[in-house]
Amino acid sequence: MSNKQGQFYGYDLLAEHIQDCKGRLIVLEGTDGVGRSSQIALLREWLENEGYAVATSGLKRGKLAGKGLNEAMEGHTLGDTTMNLLYATDFADRLEREILPALRAGFIMLTDRYVYSIIARALVRGVDPHWIRELFSFALVPDIVFYLQTDVHRLVPRVLNARGFDYWESGLDFLPGRDYYDHFVEYQRRLLAQFDAIADEYGFYRIDGSQSMHKVFIDLQVQIENVISGMKPTLPPSNGSLEVPTG
Amino acid sequence: MELVLDSRRGHPARKQLLTPLSFSLIHAADFADRMERQMLPALKAGAIVLADRYIYTAFGRDVARGLDPQFVREIYNFAIRPTIAFYFRVPLEESLKRILIGRPQLKFYEAGLDIGLDEDPYESFRLFQCQILDEYDRMVDEFGLTVIDATKPLLEQQEEVREIVAPHLENVLSAEHSAWREALTEEGLHGRYLESLVPEQETV
Repeated sequence: MSNKQGQFYGYDLLAEHIQDCKGRLIVLEGTDGVGRSSQIALLREWLENEGYAVATSGLKRGKLAGKGLNEAMEGHTLGDTTMNLLYATDFADRLEREILPALRAGFIMLTDRYVYSIIARALVRGVDPHWIRELFSFALVPDIVFYLQTDVHRLVPRVLNARGFDYWESGLDFLPGRDYYDHFVEYQRRLLAQFDAIADEYGFYRIDGSQSMHKVFIDLQVQIENVISGMKPTLPPSNGSLEVPTG
Repeated sequence: MELVLDSRRGHPARKQLLTPLSFSLIHAADFADRMERQMLPALKAGAIVLADRYIYTAFGRDVARGLDPQFVREIYNFAIRPTIAFYFRVPLEESLKRILIGRPQLKFYEAGLDIGLDEDPYESFRLFQCQILDEYDRMVDEFGLTVIDATKPLLEQQEEVREIVAPHLENVLSAEHSAWREALTEEGLHGRYLESLVPEQETV
């Protein structure tokens, strides 16, 4: 499954970073509220128990631009081109200083979203499709990308339970009017349509996110076992069995 | 713009966290912000925008840092093509003399110290500038830059520039009528002291 490794989508700007790359890059994609972070927490525990070195990364977490990006989003003042370039800066920073070094060191890198989420949110906002793909073409092709699929009506209760509707996740920056609920539904509907198209374009592995957390987890495990076959755990597997929440 | 600049000039830059790629992208973000919020609205209103350096600076600098020229050009393809792009050209030695006179404290990235051309900041700066100038020379044809010989006296250069700009000034937005400017003109005065009373104009 690592046949794609060592490849970038377009420009080999970072080729020197991936010589002798022993790790695996595993991406979980899906809209907000679909349960990505819970699955990453479960996967990390499972893989570490199996003796693998695991690292995680997620959007807007870079030292360089993560803070600026979050502040910019609070201020609601930046244009689309600027926002996307800040996302790209944050992504490049994490790719070069977290993801690639971890992969070279033989880690399994679990990332909570990758460039696809950024591309989807840009496309929904009418950003030039050619430009946004070129902008992120320095990204490393992951070993596998999971797409946790859901529909808007399953998303609503999850998001309401978690933290309520958010300005950006409801597309209030570009949809006319101020109604959070209507906008959330409309924005997420458009975003899901974009994700669907991107999933085909980049060959995502689709998982029905409306299943129980346990079922999703098992599906992920089976696929990941293929991806990591041939890797050697850095430590012997621990004896503790992993408790998986059911239901 | 301040948000973008902050994330560039704040602690990260001092700790030298930037790689050629993230350096390029964060500067592109800063440029995009100025494009979206200052230059584009002003151009739409019919104003003249004088830009002190533009995308060509980024192309020269980022390519000298080793990025793919095509990648950098794609990133900036949202930039408006300028009516005229002047390139004030001086030979490398002259440019180094002008900048390095008095041996100023060179900034880390300005001297290209991030790409390890040389340990000595001045030697590194020299090598880095040399590569940037090579890039500029390549861009003259590619983008049709208007080259001005910047070793000539300043006034001569200014006359040349005005002659080239003049034909493009038809139908652009005129400055707002100003009572004090009119009074100055009628009296043949320059308004040296008046200028300092006027709140600084927003430059676009």
